[in-house]
Amino acid sequence: MTAPTLPLAREGFHAPGIEIFEWPDIVHLEVAGVDLSINRVVLQMFLVVLLVWGLFFFAFRSPKLVPSGLQNVMESMVDFIRNQIVLEVIGREGLRFLPYLTTLFAFVFIGNVGGIIPPILFPLNGRMALPAIMALCSLLLFISIGISSQGPRYFLNALFPPGLPKVLYILVTPIEFISTFIVRPVTLAIRLLANMIAGHLILSVFFVASGYMLTSMNISVVFGVGALIFSVALIAFELFVAGLQAYVFTILSAVYIAGAMEPEH
Amino acid sequence: MSEPGGPKEPPGRGADVVWSVIGTLIAGVLAWGGIGWLLDRWLGTRFLVAIGVLVGAAGAFYLIIRRHGSG
Repeated sequence: MTAPTLPLAREGFHAPGIEIFEWPDIVHLEVAGVDLSINRVVLQMFLVVLLVWGLFFFAFRSPKLVPSGLQNVMESMVDFIRNQIVLEVIGREGLRFLPYLTTLFAFVFIGNVGGIIPPILFPLNGRMALPAIMALCSLLLFISIGISSQGPRYFLNALFPPGLPKVLYILVTPIEFISTFIVRPVTLAIRLLANMIAGHLILSVFFVASGYMLTSMNISVVFGVGALIFSVALIAFELFVAGLQAYVFTILSAVYIAGAMEPEH
Repeated sequence: MSEPGGPKEPPGRGADVVWSVIGTLIAGVLAWGGIGWLLDRWLGTRFLVAIGVLVGAAGAFYLIIRRHGSG
C-alpha cells in the first residue's frame, strides 16, 4: 500500500471491518446465566422465520390446479429441490426428507438475501449461530437416519469402510471419524458463514469507498463512479452467491443423508 | 432398509465429490496431525506432528482414490 498512489489513503477513510457484524443489544435478557439478549440479528431471524412460514402458507393455502403468482414461484422452488436435489442425490426413498430440505433451502436463501435488500442489508448467515445450528441439525439428522436404516452397524460401516485390508483400519478409522462427524458439519457451517461474511464485507467496502470518492471533490470522483457501477454489479453477484450457498448447503445435507441410508460399497 | 441401489451413478454429483475430497484431506491431516501433536506433548518430542500430518495426508489420498478413483 503506497500512500500517494491510493486516493483512499489521504485522510479520514475508514474501511468497514468485521465490526459491521456486531450489533448492540436492543433488549437485554439473561435467563439462568444464559445470554438471551435480542439484537438486530435476532429480530431479523424472527422476520425470516415469519417470512418463510408466510410464503409457504399463502402459496399453498388454497392451491390451484393451474398455479399462478406466489404459488407458481413456490412450486418451482419445491420442484427444483425435489427433482434436482432429492431425486438426483437420494432417489425416491428420499422424498420424505423433501420438507426438511426445502425449508433449509428457503431459510438459508432468504437469510442470505437480506444482505442485499434495503433496509435490512445484513446477511443473517454472516453470524455463526445460524449456520452452526443448521449444520448441527443436518448432522443429527443424518446420524439418526443412519441408525434407523442400518442400526448400530451404521457407526461400524461409517468408521470401518468395508473391503479394506484389516491393517489399514488403523490408518483409516481416525480419518473417517473426523471426516464424517466433525469435518462435515464444521465445513457445512463455515462455508456458508465465510461466503456471507466475505460478500457483505466486499459490498460494504465498495459502497463506502464509492461514497467517499464521490464526495472527495477531486479526480477521485472518476474512480468513484467506476466503483459505484461495480458495486451495483456486485449486488447481482451477491444474489447469485446467496442462491448458490443455499443450494450447496442443501445438496450436501442431501448427500450426507443419502450416505447414511446405505452403507458404503 | 438395505436394498441394493444398483450401480447407477446419478449425474450432477460434482459438488459433493469435490467437497468429499477436500473434507477427507482436511480430516486426514487433522486426525493424524492431532495424534502426532498429542504424542509430541506426551513424549516431549517435536517431529511427530509433522510425521502425523504426512501419514494423515497419505491415508486421506488412499481413501479418496479408493472412493472416487476410476479403477
